[in-house]
Amino acid sequence: MGGLFTTYDTGGFFDEAHVEADRARPHYDALLQQLGAFTPDELNRRERIRDEAFRTAGITFTVYGEREGVERTFPMDLVPRIIPADEWETIEQGLVQRVTVLNRFLDDLYVGERAAIRDGIVPWWLVCSSDGFRREAAGVPVPHAARCLVAGVDIVRDGEGGYCVLEDNLRNPSGISYVLENRQAMTRVLPKIFANHRVRPVDHYGLSLLHALQSVAPPSAGDDPTVVVLTPGIYNSAYFEHAFLARQMGVELVEGRDLVVDDHVVAMRTTKGLQRVDVIYRRIDDDFLDPVVFRPDSSLGVPGLMAAARAQTVTIANAVGNGVADDKAVYAFVPDLIRYYTGDEPILSNIDTYLLWDPDQRDMVLDRLDQLVVKPVAEAGGYGVVIGPKATDEELEQVRRQIIDDPRNYIAQELVQLSRHPTLVDDHMEGRHIDLRPFVLCGDSVEVIPGGLTRVALRKGSLVVNSSQGGGSKDTWVLAPEEE
Amino acid sequence: MLARHAESLFWAGRYIERAESTARMLDVTYHSRLEVMSISETSSWHDLLKILNVDLAFSEGERALSAETVSEFLVFDETNPGTIRSNVELARENLRAVRELVSTELWESINAFHLRLSARNLRDDVSGEPHELYAMVRTHCQAVAGVANETMPRDEGWNFLGLGWMLERSMMTLRLLLIRYSQLVTAGATGGFHHWVSTLKSASGSEAFRRRYRASMDPADVVAFLLISPHFPRSVLFGLQTADKSLAWIEGTAAPQSRPQRLLGRVRADVEFTDVNELLNGDLSLHLGRIEQDIRKVTEAIEITYFRSTDELAVHVLDPTMVRG
Repeated sequence: MGGLFTTYDTGGFFDEAHVEADRARPHYDALLQQLGAFTPDELNRRERIRDEAFRTAGITFTVYGEREGVERTFPMDLVPRIIPADEWETIEQGLVQRVTVLNRFLDDLYVGERAAIRDGIVPWWLVCSSDGFRREAAGVPVPHAARCLVAGVDIVRDGEGGYCVLEDNLRNPSGISYVLENRQAMTRVLPKIFANHRVRPVDHYGLSLLHALQSVAPPSAGDDPTVVVLTPGIYNSAYFEHAFLARQMGVELVEGRDLVVDDHVVAMRTTKGLQRVDVIYRRIDDDFLDPVVFRPDSSLGVPGLMAAARAQTVTIANAVGNGVADDKAVYAFVPDLIRYYTGDEPILSNIDTYLLWDPDQRDMVLDRLDQLVVKPVAEAGGYGVVIGPKATDEELEQVRRQIIDDPRNYIAQELVQLSRHPTLVDDHMEGRHIDLRPFVLCGDSVEVIPGGLTRVALRKGSLVVNSSQGGGSKDTWVLAPEEE
Repeated sequence: MLARHAESLFWAGRYIERAESTARMLDVTYHSRLEVMSISETSSWHDLLKILNVDLAFSEGERALSAETVSEFLVFDETNPGTIRSNVELARENLRAVRELVSTELWESINAFHLRLSARNLRDDVSGEPHELYAMVRTHCQAVAGVANETMPRDEGWNFLGLGWMLERSMMTLRLLLIRYSQLVTAGATGGFHHWVSTLKSASGSEAFRRRYRASMDPADVVAFLLISPHFPRSVLFGLQTADKSLAWIEGTAAPQSRPQRLLGRVRADVEFTDVNELLNGDLSLHLGRIEQDIRKVTEAIEITYFRSTDELAVHVLDPTMVRG
């Protein structure tokens, strides 16, 4: 291995690429050899090609809270993450099992007999008190029970390298556009190295998504259902992704004001008059979707949309009310739900999670606050997370009071020492913590896109990988199985 | 296509054309007044405000009429919604709203324009040597037009972009002719030559005119050239004809069926079959004023027909049993 790695140190963490600092894992051998042979000039040139690719594509997200919403690019590290075929097989099976069960649970809650409640798997009060539970969605069916049409399940590796689920994102998981754009950039930056690996493709995502969306069209839609992507508009932080997906699928990107509901039928305003819409892939939160039943001050949504969904003239994907199943307290019950619905053991494990309304668990957590991670149950994007060992005394005191005031609103988890991955820092490699968000599509069947978004905490020592908080990304290479 | 997307493209075209016309006319006015003594400075600036239809907005601000006040007002004044700066911003906003429908090259072109313009100190430009700024604005507007022309597929979106672009252009040349002509009538014939030269330059047409008419500077020729030349791309007729073709594409038929098509066809024919000498002997201003009103009606009809359509009946065409099934 060349100069890039001379100072490399695994730091006692599980390193994705190395068994020890100077010994690569077999599936990383070729990559590290070839990368290590680059001179600084060659590396710089590749960084320039990458930056050019991203600038041209205009891949940006908006950082809120800054004046006029500054557009930033989401930095992609030059070193790809590699997942060998056998490991991926386990992840894939685990994801299919988990998302299938989450869909069953949601269907059970909203249009079923609530068997999991009746049989005492999840307490009813927990469901009712979840921010994401929407009684307005009760009785609104989704074909094939595909309530989570797109699920993003965050997966991390613990100190021993075991894969476990950190959280489920079942409402509007974002990031798939980076997966596709990273791949495209990577094939331009490292074409030879890419060709030397048997990397499974991801660029069929748009077609798969369109197929899944069309498969949940209401029965009245006919053979060629009209699908649209519903966006809050150009000022939303993920607007780039919304436009990207509409383009990939070749469907219209609409805003709320482009849609009208008349007599329980949804139509879009076109230059040729109104055109009926059958499936809405919405990237607007539940609260803003329909001012008639949700927030009346929302101008992003479409009045009457929920009534149309209830009349089954249109399907909304992801379904309304999915937030109850990615509530971080409900998360703790997912392994039991898997056993309950399938009779099988979970393939992917959860992280040990403590429920704070239970007096014994709460007391234990309050004693060990400085060692644990505390999360609000309904937040996404890493907001409000307190990492015990890194928190100040004031922060710990504040979170202690918050837990005592509202134990239902928080959970505590054991701190996971996320695995690390070689990452280019200036002119050499250092280990940085990473996670993985694979994307699962559910329509008339369940499909996992090989790989997903590997997010990397670019700041040294940081465990926070979110794009809004100094995270970057890596292209994720899932290797095809060896041919017999 | 979505009505909102069509509207964004329509307006993007109009804003870019407006930014370019404003820069060109500012440039011409600024420099011609240096050479021509016969036309009073204040009246040429006032004419410019009238051509751009912002004379009332300008006088509301109780500003003195001078090269500097008018230039500032037209380039970056925040109280004027039609400045060069705001036209470029609005063109960019509109193209951003249809980002997934326009080519990456077009988006990059307008974005680069916006970045270059924001990086400049416009106040210094206007008070110093403004020509550099105006030339830069024109170059970028033409780059945007060129890139659009070279990279956009000839689909519905392209035709809405072109429709806005060309109607704006026809309107601008028409107003130029209207204001300059009435100014000439009131001022008498003296200094007519330079006056008409600057009018032609304002429409980017002095060289083309020279090739067509050589040494002549007959007002009838200038009017004919700017109004009904089928070859000069900034004549009123050229704009209307091109717009007419776009509209035919959008409707999928050249046979005038929709209200915008009928109105546009009528005003195009009206211009096309004009007898200029007859006009010059009659009341040209009145005639031009009527054409202006007709073009305005076309844009209103386009708004109503394509952008504001809430034709709820279309929904009821659907099988009602599907709705309640």
